[in-house]
Amino acid sequence: MTPLDASRFSGTSLLAWRNLSHDRARFVVTLVGVLFAVLLMGVELGLLLGFARTTSGLVDNTYADLWITPAGTTNVDIAGRLDLRRRFEALAVPGVESVDMLMMQFAFWRKPDGGTESVSVVGFNLAGGLARPWNLVEGSIEDLSQDDAVIIDQLYARKLGVTALGQTIEINNRRARVVGYTAGIRTFTQSPYVFTTHRNAQNFTFFRPDQTTYLLVRLKPGADRAVVRDALQARLGRVDVWFAADFARAAQRYWLITTGAGSALLLAALLGLVVGIVIVGQTLYATTVDRLPEYATLRAMGAPNGYLHRVILKQAAISAVFGFAGGMLLVALVVLASAGSTVAVAMPAGLVGVLAVLTLCMCALGALISIRRVTRIDPTSVFQ
Amino acid sequence: MTAVLQLDEVGVTYGRGATAFAALQDISLAIEPGEMTLLLGPSGSGKTSLLQVMGCLLRPSRGRVRLFGETLAADLGVEAMAALRLAHIGFVFQHYNLFPTLKAWENVAIALDIQARPRATQRDQAMRLLDRLGLADRAEHYPSELSGGQKQRVAIARALAGGPRILLADEPTAALDGKTGQGVAGALHALAHDEGVAVVVVSHDPRVEPFGDRVLHLEDGRLVDDRRPSRSSA
Repeated sequence: MTPLDASRFSGTSLLAWRNLSHDRARFVVTLVGVLFAVLLMGVELGLLLGFARTTSGLVDNTYADLWITPAGTTNVDIAGRLDLRRRFEALAVPGVESVDMLMMQFAFWRKPDGGTESVSVVGFNLAGGLARPWNLVEGSIEDLSQDDAVIIDQLYARKLGVTALGQTIEINNRRARVVGYTAGIRTFTQSPYVFTTHRNAQNFTFFRPDQTTYLLVRLKPGADRAVVRDALQARLGRVDVWFAADFARAAQRYWLITTGAGSALLLAALLGLVVGIVIVGQTLYATTVDRLPEYATLRAMGAPNGYLHRVILKQAAISAVFGFAGGMLLVALVVLASAGSTVAVAMPAGLVGVLAVLTLCMCALGALISIRRVTRIDPTSVFQ
Repeated sequence: MTAVLQLDEVGVTYGRGATAFAALQDISLAIEPGEMTLLLGPSGSGKTSLLQVMGCLLRPSRGRVRLFGETLAADLGVEAMAALRLAHIGFVFQHYNLFPTLKAWENVAIALDIQARPRATQRDQAMRLLDRLGLADRAEHYPSELSGGQKQRVAIARALAGGPRILLADEPTAALDGKTGQGVAGALHALAHDEGVAVVVVSHDPRVEPFGDRVLHLEDGRLVDDRRPSRSSA
């Protein structure tokens, strides 16, 4: 390892680096520990965020200010039925500019080879403009206007037995034809979204023509969202009226907290943190114990405890920086690999920052035992 | 001459009750600047304990310690004692206690760093000190690449880095051969006389004795002799 140019670094930085680099095997063990802790935390938190985004994806990708849902709805994937006449009642509320309908219902998809999969049929009112399939990579929205047309996501094409556009399948025993693909639209339930028109969705899922699942509300410019929401709630009665962001969060809460999926991921991330603390703690402590005579010498020379603590904390910080860099490299590979899978690992800049802070905290916590040890060091031991 | 360090009826007892052991008893002495004081005595006579008391490493059980005329409080905290050491006292150890992962000049510079001297000047100051001790050409070497005498001179340079007025050396020649040991003792003697540093050396080594301006003799924790030999041999 390259020796530091001592004239450019403080004594504590120099000692920290040399203490680590002098015992390469132990340093490598520390780095591997930090690296895997970062990998574990990164992947688990990335999965958590990816799932959170997935669970609310449908809500996040509409242009509605408010969502009207059947009373008691907990998430966007599972809902009852709304009477479409409610749409006109909603339109009569001051501040409402437009109201659109959105269908969402589970259905059975019979594959060309005869197998069956569960799917979520999502029906848009293409004329409304508040919601439509996004990330379309093949085919066009206009193609959906055909009676049996559906669009699926490329990620699930294989699962649904679709090998080419134009292929016909059955949804709830009704003929359907795949006319386009979206990219990267995942579902938490693993029942792939099947996008179609509102009318087709009603047909596929045996809804009556006067029934829908959701009403999406667009407000007039300048309208007070809370006032309009309360007015809609009062006027429509037995429905729930949500701010779009609240409904998205409710969906995330439902799938990640109520089902325990989020807790499991958080627990695994916590496990990574604990493993990291233990490994860093053990290796740093071993390094510290090996160098106790040197710490005692520093103390005898008059170095305050803070000086000794800085040496140890900088060792922890160096381990954190190198371990984090290596760990994030592996996380990046996992994120790249997950891009083509039905399980997304999200890694926005904010999460990278959180992981960096967690890694530093993990290494600092790992350093605590060593700090405690050198704080109790007896400087007279240099004479023994 | 004003004493830099004064001990009045100092006693140190380790342990309590039946297992109590008096390492030092009623020690009163004054250490003067510009002198090399030798602290002699058999093993277990209390030399190291006395050195630790003088070096603000050990609080005495009884008596009073005065540093530059100021009495040190009996309940002085460990951080305050460390601050006193940092400001006034340099140490040279029997086994050098150099930092093995640092080069010779870095070992000296670390003492300057503890004192928060400007980083930009640390290397130059360290190099000047090593040059004074005849080690400029070994500055880039690690301790493992230095001889015993060279290591001890690096240790002396490190002890001097903070500009101490008191330098305490514990058996500084014990691990050195005859000629090297004499060289180190001579360097310490020169420090006292040329720089006015109060040098106290604990030693068993008869080669060091000729360099002492003053010899204190300890036995069973008591100061039994305090004399100033003639200077002819040094």
